[in-house]
Amino acid sequence: MAHRLVVSLVLALLFVARPVPAADPLVVSVWGGNWKDTIEKVIARPFTAKTGIPVEFEVGGTLDRLAKARVAKAAPLVDITFTTSHVGRLYMSDGLFQKLDMARLPHARELAPEALRSDSHLGVWAYVYTIAYRPDQVKMDITRWADLWDPQLKGKVGMPDFDPSHIITVSALLDGGDERNWEKGQERLKRLKPNVAAFFSTDARSQDLMKTGEAPVQVMLSINAFHLIEQGLPVKVVNPTDKPGIVGIDTMAIMAGTRKSDAAHQFIDLALSRDIQEQLVASFKAGPTNLKAVVPAKLRGQPGVFTTPAEWKERGYIMDDETRARTLPAWKEWFNASIVAK
Amino acid sequence: MILLLPAVGVMVLLAVALAALLQFSVLEFIPGSLRTGGLTTRNLDAVLTPLYLRYIWDTVLLSALTTVLTLVASYPVAYALARSRSARVRSLLLVLTLAPFFTGAIVRTYAWMLVLGNTFIRWPVKLLFEPAGVLIGLVHFSMPTMILILAAAISHVDRTYERAAASLGARPRRVFWRVTLPLSMPGVASGSLVVFAWTFSAFPTPELLGGGRVKMIANVVKDLALDAFNWPGSAAFAAVALAVTFLLLAVVTRALVRTGGAAA
Repeated sequence: MAHRLVVSLVLALLFVARPVPAADPLVVSVWGGNWKDTIEKVIARPFTAKTGIPVEFEVGGTLDRLAKARVAKAAPLVDITFTTSHVGRLYMSDGLFQKLDMARLPHARELAPEALRSDSHLGVWAYVYTIAYRPDQVKMDITRWADLWDPQLKGKVGMPDFDPSHIITVSALLDGGDERNWEKGQERLKRLKPNVAAFFSTDARSQDLMKTGEAPVQVMLSINAFHLIEQGLPVKVVNPTDKPGIVGIDTMAIMAGTRKSDAAHQFIDLALSRDIQEQLVASFKAGPTNLKAVVPAKLRGQPGVFTTPAEWKERGYIMDDETRARTLPAWKEWFNASIVAK
Repeated sequence: MILLLPAVGVMVLLAVALAALLQFSVLEFIPGSLRTGGLTTRNLDAVLTPLYLRYIWDTVLLSALTTVLTLVASYPVAYALARSRSARVRSLLLVLTLAPFFTGAIVRTYAWMLVLGNTFIRWPVKLLFEPAGVLIGLVHFSMPTMILILAAAISHVDRTYERAAASLGARPRRVFWRVTLPLSMPGVASGSLVVFAWTFSAFPTPELLGGGRVKMIANVVKDLALDAFNWPGSAAFAAVALAVTFLLLAVVTRALVRTGGAAA
């Protein structure tokens, strides 16, 4: 009798203590650190408040997450992925993204045409890879891409080696080519070697090199440069006068095979809305993709911040995603052999 | 027999993973796509070029130098750890030897970045992002393990032999070179083998201290797989590197065991 009583009490307690079942969470794959924190604060919280659907995050580097998505293709671990536009092409090549239902994304009509990267991924913010430098450690004014080759900058320049597409394209543009006939810039780029202090493989390393002064001039993500300025580091972000900065567009997409396509469309539409875009701009110091978003006065005209269709066309150079994804392995190999190797 | 099952299970898993790696290495890479094509030997041809063979050579060279320098730097510390008469000195040396194990490779490497860079010290020659800087980091990373292995070997040397040599008129230096060192060769052999093997697969130290300019095998595998999306190429390079590793380990083991065995 006593035994039954104890069992009944335990069952009753378990029943009472059982949490109210929450809605199935939407899982978003995103970069870590400030990226995840901002997306959580600016997009996920209002989304949960509006829909009651909680949001969980899976964080990692661009390519770690791509590798993970690939091995989990049969049963995707995430519902939405944030990634760069050309890496989005790789997801698409393996059928990892589903086609977006534009009827369920009314705010997509307000996007700059450049943000419509494909029928599976849409731009959520923009930035440029441009020159950033520390005026306290460099005795010349840097105003053009061509200045990177100045002998005064010997042993001072840092650049990414995980993706050399920006500097390869800039070099080609300076010599009358572009990413499709990048070979035109090869000789010029070889002449940059004496000026290179280090190569970096992550954004964090890039910022470290700038902070320590190991590489006080860098081909740098504008968002990272603005972040360093906010931290009090004397950094100048250049709007190059000879050729524009190389535009990067981060995108959102819905994973093929997700069971939460409706919620995922709602999340993406909210992220593209004017109000959320304005908050993203303020947080990241990036450019909005929604042309109706109002940009704070101090950010207007800054590298990577485009507010009108004309600015999108004139103030940045957008590489062709397909060409970039297809040619990157060849660029990497050439860059390692000809520029990185001593 | 049943006790062997877990080990057999692990070996089967490793064999399957290795088979997957080898299978990937002979599939065609399609640039701009994650899909692979049919069977090809192009990936192997591509990694057997001077560019990639040089990375393997650099790795062999750095591993060999790291092993020699670690041995030279560690032996005196290990000797003091095993032979010091002061318990306080032995404790202090043990704590100093074990401390790096608790900090992790990344933290230690970041600390070296600050030391080798020009933030705090103006070095007369450039060390950071140069092979010399990577070598310093690798030696430091390997020293605790080498010290512990050597100390164990030295403490097993029977001091009666040393006393016998001394009683026959040998000076301390001669006792060390003719008795202690030869009798500690098994420790020298196993320590060198361990350090050589793990330096061969080093990743964070060359990644951070090399600044992209000094690359070892693991860095190139990562470059190909995660930066260039060339998984078949990465698998081919890893397969070649694995073959070189087995070959070198066989040669080094044979040489060291012969030396150690002769001494023992």
